[in-house]
Amino acid sequence: MFDRVYRQRLDADLARWEADGVITPASLAAIRATLPPLAPSVNIAIVVAIVGGLLIAAAFLAFVAAHWTEIPRLLRLAMLFAGMLIAYGLGGWFARARQPILADLCAAIGALIFGAAIALVGQMYHLGGDFAGGMLLWAMGALAAAALTGSRGALAVALAAAIIWSCMRIFENSNTHFAFAAFWLAAGCLALAWNSRVAAHLVAVAALPWWIASALQTHLDFRPSFMLANGAALLFGSAIALAASPWQRTNQAGSVLSTYGAFSLAGVAILEATMANEVFRLRTGLANPSWMIASGMAGVIFAFAATAITRRAGTAFAAIAIGLVLVGAALWTPRPSGEPWLAYAALLCAMLCLVVSGMLDAARPRIVAGWLGIAGVIASITWAVKGSLLKRSIFLAVAGIVAVVLASALNRFMPRSRE
Amino acid sequence: MTSITAASLAERLARIPKLVLFGAAALVQIGLLAVMIIDRAQVLRDGAEVILQTRPVDPRDFLRGDYVVLGYDITQLSTGPLQNQPSGERNPQVYVKLAPNSEGVYGALSVHAAPVAVTNPEVLIRGRVIYGATCGSKWDTFCEKITVRYNLESYFVPEGEGRKLEDIRNQGKLSVVAAVLPSGRAAIKRLLIDGKPVYEEPWF
Repeated sequence: MFDRVYRQRLDADLARWEADGVITPASLAAIRATLPPLAPSVNIAIVVAIVGGLLIAAAFLAFVAAHWTEIPRLLRLAMLFAGMLIAYGLGGWFARARQPILADLCAAIGALIFGAAIALVGQMYHLGGDFAGGMLLWAMGALAAAALTGSRGALAVALAAAIIWSCMRIFENSNTHFAFAAFWLAAGCLALAWNSRVAAHLVAVAALPWWIASALQTHLDFRPSFMLANGAALLFGSAIALAASPWQRTNQAGSVLSTYGAFSLAGVAILEATMANEVFRLRTGLANPSWMIASGMAGVIFAFAATAITRRAGTAFAAIAIGLVLVGAALWTPRPSGEPWLAYAALLCAMLCLVVSGMLDAARPRIVAGWLGIAGVIASITWAVKGSLLKRSIFLAVAGIVAVVLASALNRFMPRSRE
Repeated sequence: MTSITAASLAERLARIPKLVLFGAAALVQIGLLAVMIIDRAQVLRDGAEVILQTRPVDPRDFLRGDYVVLGYDITQLSTGPLQNQPSGERNPQVYVKLAPNSEGVYGALSVHAAPVAVTNPEVLIRGRVIYGATCGSKWDTFCEKITVRYNLESYFVPEGEGRKLEDIRNQGKLSVVAAVLPSGRAAIKRLLIDGKPVYEEPWF
């Protein structure tokens, strides 16, 4: 879809450049000749056909549902198998006919039918005991289908099922569910193999609910925001490292992940500033697991390693931003009174570094995330329920003066450096 | 290196005809469903038969859709020596040693955190603690009483028959014959009303 939009824009630009005399007709023809043919898109006839197919399928499903209990069990099972075979058969047929979108859709529908089949087999054979186990089975089957067919839809189904499985296990066991990480890495390898931005987005999105669910366990022996900070650091740091790699596939996946990493870092900074409020200081003496701290440190190390490889100032600022958010999280200690001024300062500096990093690397999502982070942290500091409002105003004024002095210094320094 | 391997793998997959790949995806998923069914059939075929007496359950858990929620005499247990021992997690697995009474109905003898040896006619059944594993100052020890699920708690019946079975269950006339493997895994084999079979579960 985006390729088609780009092609339309390029055609318009080429026509304008030719009219303005920027390029010759021969150059225009040469440029057009280098462009690969566009993938066939879904036309109106296909859309109508899809709607018709969906209506027929819905009618068939309603008919079967009305007579479900009257149908012999083995016949019911055969119908479920047939449903899957038809979905994947159609998918294969569309793939052969070079209709990749429809083939992808059929594989996703096949994966959904597989999920429904697990539920119905569970019902028919009285196997309803382990719902989370059923979700794992669904996730595995859908991931296998995604790997074999290259379907992004099936990958989305697999990741959604895996998230439900993992969240249920976290709730059942009150422990971090590391098995999800293995599944997530397998999905990440698929995204790399496909060299697909859509798949990279899906994989990046899937990491967030798992980390949030892990941080929000009911029997907490650690601070949720501290775990989220370390998770955001690992995601952003490893994404920057991937983006700095010389291979195009990892480079592209890294740039997608870094967007989520940047927004996660900003979200965590806001959360840290908000949680520093006395209202949330309910529990003390919490112990943070070493694996959690190690993952945050790994994020910082990855980011600085990427800086050493790329020798780009923007990457260095991103690494500093990650480090400062972790410093802010470490400085935040539940106390009966007083405000974590150093943590506030570290978080504000981190968000400023994130904006600068985005500007230097021309990464707009990082700039947006940084600005959102700055706004959120200032809002959290300003709207704290308890504590001295006067002290907070002094802190913000001092922070503002430091920023203005820094801006003046930069204004003098930067033009000279360009000369 | 990772990128090169992934690329070469993707290229190899691209060479295989699409119909074969889509067919393989369907077969993998059908295979997984078949594993579910065959696994249960194995429990029914090889498991030792134990009769379990059902009991009324909380009215809020009555018929949901077309399945009956079954509670058993072995659902709520005293932990005995297991009390105050570390549970490890909120819903840990436990092993319950069962033995028949004079009428042949099995009841619980003891609860264990790990498998223990049993002698005939005793049977060891595996379950998962739903309530009662979060006592102590850190919520990580077994309580005095626990509620255990054995994967025998729901039984799907034809539409409209659930209510009748509920009434029979509440009168104490409904019992279940479960097949239990030596590993402790169990599955419902048949339902008895007043000791007479009314629902027999086929393997497939």
